[in-house]
Amino acid sequence: MLGIDDPMIVLGYALSIGLAVACGLYGWSKRTGEETDG
Amino acid sequence: MVDTIVFAACTAVYLLATMLLGYLGYRHTKAADDYMVAGRRVSSVILGLSYGATFISTSAIVGFGGMAALYGTGLIWLTVLNIGMGVLIAFIVFGKRTREIGHRLGAVTFPDLLGRRFNSPFMQYATGVMILIAMPLYCAAIIIGGAWFIHTTFNLDYVVSLLGFALITAAYVVMGGLIAVMYTDAMQGVLMLVGMTLLLVLTFVSLGGVEQGFTSLSNLSPQIPAFLQNGGLHSWTAMPDTGSSIWFTLVTTIVMGVGIGVLAQPQLSVRFLCARDERSINRAVSVGGPFLLMMTGVAFTVGPLTNVWFWNNTGQTAFAAAGNNVDNIIPLYINSAMPELFVVIFMLVLLAAAMSTLSSIFHTMGTTAGYDLYRHIAKRDVPSKRVAQLGTVLMIVVSVALALVMPSNIIARATAMFMGLCACAFLPVLTYALYSRAPLALPAKLSLVVGALSWFLWTVFVHTAEAAQLGICKALFGQVTLLGAPFNVIDPLIVGLPLATVTLVVGIAAANAWPRDSSLAQT
Repeated sequence: MLGIDDPMIVLGYALSIGLAVACGLYGWSKRTGEETDG
Repeated sequence: MVDTIVFAACTAVYLLATMLLGYLGYRHTKAADDYMVAGRRVSSVILGLSYGATFISTSAIVGFGGMAALYGTGLIWLTVLNIGMGVLIAFIVFGKRTREIGHRLGAVTFPDLLGRRFNSPFMQYATGVMILIAMPLYCAAIIIGGAWFIHTTFNLDYVVSLLGFALITAAYVVMGGLIAVMYTDAMQGVLMLVGMTLLLVLTFVSLGGVEQGFTSLSNLSPQIPAFLQNGGLHSWTAMPDTGSSIWFTLVTTIVMGVGIGVLAQPQLSVRFLCARDERSINRAVSVGGPFLLMMTGVAFTVGPLTNVWFWNNTGQTAFAAAGNNVDNIIPLYINSAMPELFVVIFMLVLLAAAMSTLSSIFHTMGTTAGYDLYRHIAKRDVPSKRVAQLGTVLMIVVSVALALVMPSNIIARATAMFMGLCACAFLPVLTYALYSRAPLALPAKLSLVVGALSWFLWTVFVHTAEAAQLGICKALFGQVTLLGAPFNVIDPLIVGLPLATVTLVVGIAAANAWPRDSSLAQT
């Protein structure tokens, strides 16, 4: 796929991008959360 | 060749912006809390960018980018761990608890957090001593990386480059403390983000697109150097053979060693003590994750692809074109393949990456010396801004002196070593400190000692990469390592971290089995 020999490398790319998107969504979902101070 | 006037003007603007932000930090630094934990009022964007910029040093881009040119795209698994462990787990599992407990206990440094949480002076000064022994080596490696870059780019004398780089960074750390560090980190982080995005786009454009670039890289498999083929690497777009020496190096040292080690790094943990509130940490995740993808993900993609460019243009692999020095691959590629203006931008990216990491390390070492150790020596509990500043100056002098005598090819290795030690010594203990309702000091002390000691022994006597460089095993026993394959390619982290964890678990179980009034349960 995409000229890459090993599916493990493709999986690595997919996970990297997926986790970065998950980080973005997580922060976005918490944008209106209550402020807590410990 | 880059126009000298354009280069000098861009560098001057960058340095001016850095010093201006450093001055802002100085103006906002009134008390010890401001100096040590940025007044505990840092917002989410500054937190996310500062964390990312501190995490990513020149080593991650140049050192590990060069390694990716050698070992191939398998390094992308380090990006997976960087984001999964270094952001998601670090912020959500560790960060929020670190801030909450640190705030409640009034902790101002990483050793202080452990000392207060375990109600144990030993935990504070033992952690402090470990930081003051290991961190100057890591710091020296970063200074060397920055100095080499300045030396080759500006054609300045190496020693002058080294001293100038350290002094400029030291100026705003000493005067402005963590507020100055985090303000400058954020600006440097934005610059790094722009530069790495451009690098990715320009690389794929020059190679004819994403699929064409990777296909060309796959077609270069027969050109992989013999020593890599013999070590188990047969394609730059595939993982090495499972169980081969390169597989062990890639998976245990590079991916796991660095990927896991990030969780318990003192200079990163202290970021969470600075967060304004829990919401700031949550929101910083959305900055940190994409930031790390664009840093390490791009470095580990462009690194291998440099082989295609060098093969098309010089008939050599990247490693051969760079004179068999992995640290030269990325700078050579930028200078040879990229447009003139981008060379200027990328050089500033590298300067920003080096300065952002160096400033945080200077600050962590300084506060460790000027507070964590000083409070035990002087029997003084209240943190002092002036003493922390003096501690910072002292540790900067030590690190610069080390940088002047250490070899220049140690950047990536020193980074992996530092992260491995942090994971073995601090990770089980930190997890226990954050997630136990009433943590016991004795199991934590044992775990700290066993983790650090096992990491040290494996590094000095078994793991060839470090043992050969250190030479202690050879001097004592007449051989480079005491054990052969496959043990000599297994990273010390793979041994030290489980040992430290088992020690902690057994210690806790023993303490719980003991009568409640025994010394073991109370220590």
